[in-house]
Amino acid sequence: MKDYQLAWRNLWRNRRRTLITAASVFFAVFFALVMRSFQLGTYEKMYRDVIESYTGYLQLQHTDYIDESSLDNGFVIDPEIISRIEGDPNVTAVIPKLESFALAASGSRTQGVMVIGMDPEDEMKGLNIINRLVRYRLTPKAVEALKAESLPGRTAKLLDVFVNESFTDEASLISILGIGRTDTSDVLPLFRKHAAFENGYLTSADSGYAVIGNGLSEYLHAGVGDTLVLMGQGYHGTTAAGLYIIKGIVRMPQPEIDNRFVYLTLDDARYLYAAPGMATSAIISVRDTEDDDLVMTRNRLGQITGDGLAIRTWKEMNALLLNQMEADNKSGAIMIGILYLVIAFGVFGTVLMMMAERRREFGMLVSIGMQKGKLAKVISMEMFLVGFLGVAAGVAGSLPIVFLGYARPLRFTGEMAKMYEDYGFDPVMPMLLPDTYYLWQVVIVLLILLIAITFSVRKIFKMNVINAVRA
Amino acid sequence: MKVVEINDVYKTYHDTEVEVKAVNGVTLSFEKGDFAVIVGPSGSGKTTLLNLIGGLDQPTGGEIIVAGHRLSELKPSELIDFRMEHVGFVFQSYNLIPVLTASENVGFILNLQKWPKEKRKARTDEMLASVGLSDRHNSRPSQLSGGQQQRVAVARALAPRPEFILADEPTANLDTKSAETLLDIMEKLNHDEKMTFIFSTHDIRVMKRARRVITLEDGRIVSDVRVNNN
Repeated sequence: MKDYQLAWRNLWRNRRRTLITAASVFFAVFFALVMRSFQLGTYEKMYRDVIESYTGYLQLQHTDYIDESSLDNGFVIDPEIISRIEGDPNVTAVIPKLESFALAASGSRTQGVMVIGMDPEDEMKGLNIINRLVRYRLTPKAVEALKAESLPGRTAKLLDVFVNESFTDEASLISILGIGRTDTSDVLPLFRKHAAFENGYLTSADSGYAVIGNGLSEYLHAGVGDTLVLMGQGYHGTTAAGLYIIKGIVRMPQPEIDNRFVYLTLDDARYLYAAPGMATSAIISVRDTEDDDLVMTRNRLGQITGDGLAIRTWKEMNALLLNQMEADNKSGAIMIGILYLVIAFGVFGTVLMMMAERRREFGMLVSIGMQKGKLAKVISMEMFLVGFLGVAAGVAGSLPIVFLGYARPLRFTGEMAKMYEDYGFDPVMPMLLPDTYYLWQVVIVLLILLIAITFSVRKIFKMNVINAVRA
Repeated sequence: MKVVEINDVYKTYHDTEVEVKAVNGVTLSFEKGDFAVIVGPSGSGKTTLLNLIGGLDQPTGGEIIVAGHRLSELKPSELIDFRMEHVGFVFQSYNLIPVLTASENVGFILNLQKWPKEKRKARTDEMLASVGLSDRHNSRPSQLSGGQQQRVAVARALAPRPEFILADEPTANLDTKSAETLLDIMEKLNHDEKMTFIFSTHDIRVMKRARRVITLEDGRIVSDVRVNNN
């Protein structure tokens, strides 16, 4: 009989205990993986939202701009450099961007804003701001009209919770307002009729128009067609002032962006800030977005830009967001650590009990000629098999959920969705597909097993055979 | 031919404040084919002497030579190999491996000794037949009676053809019929295979069968009598 066969049979001599131990490992791995998938998936969505609607993956900047983001650290766009950057195999587009601050006013309200100037047609090659246009808004009037219609009870109740809320697509409208699949075809036309939001987007020829963030629009009480006055300081201390018509309202991914977002055409922004031909950055749109690809692309482009200009990655540009997520990530890791600690004690308890119960048997085996090393090997195999069963079941159990959660992200409805919305986040929890975090869970369980195995092996090698046989 | 030589062996325990001399200057030897019992009251040192002979324990003084090996010269791992090759153990509580069948239990030490599969099977069959359990090859210990389990334990001990068998109270947990059956088997194996048996026991049934009775008291041999039971 082979050692592994003996180990396998020993595993099932106390079926209940083996199953309980394997189940504890299974639940730990399963919950850790599902939790991590949610957590990392949410981070990835946040990063992607910010990258795809604001920063892009790479930017060309003046070397000092990252430390002091002001117009004075802008640069004159050199068409030759732009052309050479566009020639890189991983680059799909280069979008010059002029960004600065201003005071925005509409009616009697004012707000400090960030003004972003880009050519809308160029911008669409690298960012997806147009997908963030508000399509539906539940104004009090719209809510009243909808209530007069025959809506499903749950949806009708939730209308009051979401008064004045804006929606960028029908999918979020359906999930947040709890519209059932069977009701969709009846209810959506009612929303299109009463809550559709007349919105527009900039074109390259739209001089004198602006698109603003939904949060800013709410704060200024300014809608499409209203006037927006911008005042600020232009390049080298000139006065910047301009009057624009609000053409569109977008919901930007983060509250601090959404509450201050004003988007003009690049020409308008240059004119406003008296910075002809200038940009504060150029968003570089890329094909391959993995970290390694970005670093390689940055290194290649760095040789083109020369002195005074630098290529920044999205991680460098979003250091604050990354730090926040990292802090949150650590709290998640601590939770998982506690989970594994509990499991470790469970596994350790099982090992202690098993060693005590089988002490006489171990003594007998060594008495009749089994080397302690061989005995330790069999016991290690037993524990490894229990751990393997738990890990394999945990991984296998989590995979369908993770794939489903990735394909159809969990969307919150009702109050929970409102809470997310109030914090400026989409009420969506996407999951991250299996990645290195899966490997880490396996490594952690293996470490726990290794500690337990070390303990039992040490016990075996220190065993007094006579005392063990008498036990 | 001497199988075991014990020369002026001492074993002292210091477990408590009092020094206990479990074996106190024992000199003894066993010949091939002996069917000997070590008797004596509880605490007289029977089991300790058996453990010393089997290399499970080391004496504090004196010398034990088994099958030409000076046990004091062997390292712990060499002692384990020594036991595997030269000593068969039969314990009071049978001590079979619960997850193995009777056949696998008997073949366990042969497996450790890396016998070829065919030879191992043949020897296992032979031993199970010799203890009258040919029909219980595939029974697990939990499916066997106490007497049957002890017979499997005897078959396991004998399978690798050790120099001798050490049996510590082998009949203590058995009813009369099972004990008699077991002793019949052991006597037969002793007679047919010239296997040396050394028992430690309180059991009068074992003593009646023995051809040599060694009595210990306070770790000393007080008598060593050869009896003609044939």
